[in-house]
Amino acid sequence: MDGSPVAHQKWTLTQEAFDKLLIALGDNRDSGGQKYLEIRSNLTRFFEWRGCSFPEDHADETFNRMAKKVAEGEEIQNPQGYAMGIARLLLLEILKGRQKEQTALTEMGHASEIYEEQDDGENRLTCLRSCLEGLSPDNRELILEYYQGEKGEKIQNRKKLLERLGIPVNTLRMRALRLRERLQTCMEECMSK
Amino acid sequence: MATDLNSEKLIARYLLGELSEEQQVEIEDRAFSDKEFLTTITAVENDLIDEYVRDEMSQSERRQFESRFLASPARRKRVEFARALTEIAPEYALAERSVVSPVPVSWRDSLEAFFQSLNPVAKFAMVAVALLVVLGGAWLITQTLRLRSQLTTLQAENQSRQDQRQTLEQQVDQERRRNAELTARLNQEKQQREQSDESLRQLSETADATTPPARPVIASLTLLPGISRGAGDKPVLVLKHGVRLVRLQVAIEPEEQFKSFAIELRTAAGRQVWSRENLTARSRRGARSIGLTLPATAVKPGEYELSLRGVKEGGATEDVGFYYFDVREK
Repeated sequence: MDGSPVAHQKWTLTQEAFDKLLIALGDNRDSGGQKYLEIRSNLTRFFEWRGCSFPEDHADETFNRMAKKVAEGEEIQNPQGYAMGIARLLLLEILKGRQKEQTALTEMGHASEIYEEQDDGENRLTCLRSCLEGLSPDNRELILEYYQGEKGEKIQNRKKLLERLGIPVNTLRMRALRLRERLQTCMEECMSK
Repeated sequence: MATDLNSEKLIARYLLGELSEEQQVEIEDRAFSDKEFLTTITAVENDLIDEYVRDEMSQSERRQFESRFLASPARRKRVEFARALTEIAPEYALAERSVVSPVPVSWRDSLEAFFQSLNPVAKFAMVAVALLVVLGGAWLITQTLRLRSQLTTLQAENQSRQDQRQTLEQQVDQERRRNAELTARLNQEKQQREQSDESLRQLSETADATTPPARPVIASLTLLPGISRGAGDKPVLVLKHGVRLVRLQVAIEPEEQFKSFAIELRTAAGRQVWSRENLTARSRRGARSIGLTLPATAVKPGEYELSLRGVKEGGATEDVGFYYFDVREK
């Protein structure tokens, strides 16, 4: 769905250029590697938030462009900010490409791609039940209660949870997020078996 | 919570692509420098996904959501998970309700609710019963405290009696021991007296049978206090041939008031040659003295020291005096 940015694809990332990039990101290769992973995660989120279809590919492309700049002798003072600058330029290219594709498809009489859920719902539910059973009763109760109810009701449920558990809002939110991620990972692993 | 909500609404608008480029950049920059904010964005994302799968969004929101959220495979998986969780949650909610006890309510709320459900007569009866319970409880507490106090006093008295009994038992025991000691001394004294009497009787018989009446068998000496060891006028006991007994008359000061007396006779070198205890002083014409009879074999020619000790009521002794004399043979 995303338009493919072609202008920068001639340059390819070599091992030497990648090593230079890692050193540019941190004091040494190890700390550079850690920084690389952190920035890549942020870039992926950024492209996801902006509605891109392949956030991880775009994050890698951002690093390619960054590595090229480093190989050309560019000095990077703020790696996260620098990466975000490149990512925003890349996003513009993607959006332009998407517009072109959309126009072409409309002219051809095609509707935009519509997401359709795969029909393995029963398997998914079975796996999720199994994963929920694997949680402790407290955790199971927490995640079910945290995400239970419509907008207003949900807020009240969370207030009650906060009062009952006696923990700060952010702690509760973090616990719910982690449990949700754990459950989702568990369900996907179960489905892939 | 209000501030968070406002912030969450802004984040939701960002995620649906409703904000200007400038605002989007602002949110993204903050998200990548503030981990807590990043967590909030993820939480809002989940809530949006849940609203979508529960069909709680308006048409325009759904369109925006679909164009943004269903684009990437990773997000589609999240939507699928949310759909499954939404579908399955009611099953667990029902199951939890059937096994888990209801949400805890404070006792005050329960009591209030209970009272509100009663009619006026029942309310009056409940109040009366409660009053009785309170008064009865207070009476019981008072009684318990009074009984406890009495028990403490009785325990203290009992302890005191036990202490007194122990003290008396100790005193009786001491008296018994003292009595036994005195009896033993008395027996010893009796034995010695009997031996002395027997010796005297034998000597008298011997004297009557073998010795002419003119020859004395008893040598006697009176010892006066105040004569020192080196004095030139020390009294002399002369042991003539045939003398079997020695009679010593030890004079003491009239003021020496003791329960009894003890005597030790030692040579000049300090060797004890004779001793006697439980002796009593006798008064005759205003003078007090202690009379002793000892075998003549107990003393040999030489210098002697006789020490006299007084014994008080408690058994303690005190030196009364020292007497010096010489023994010579003739």
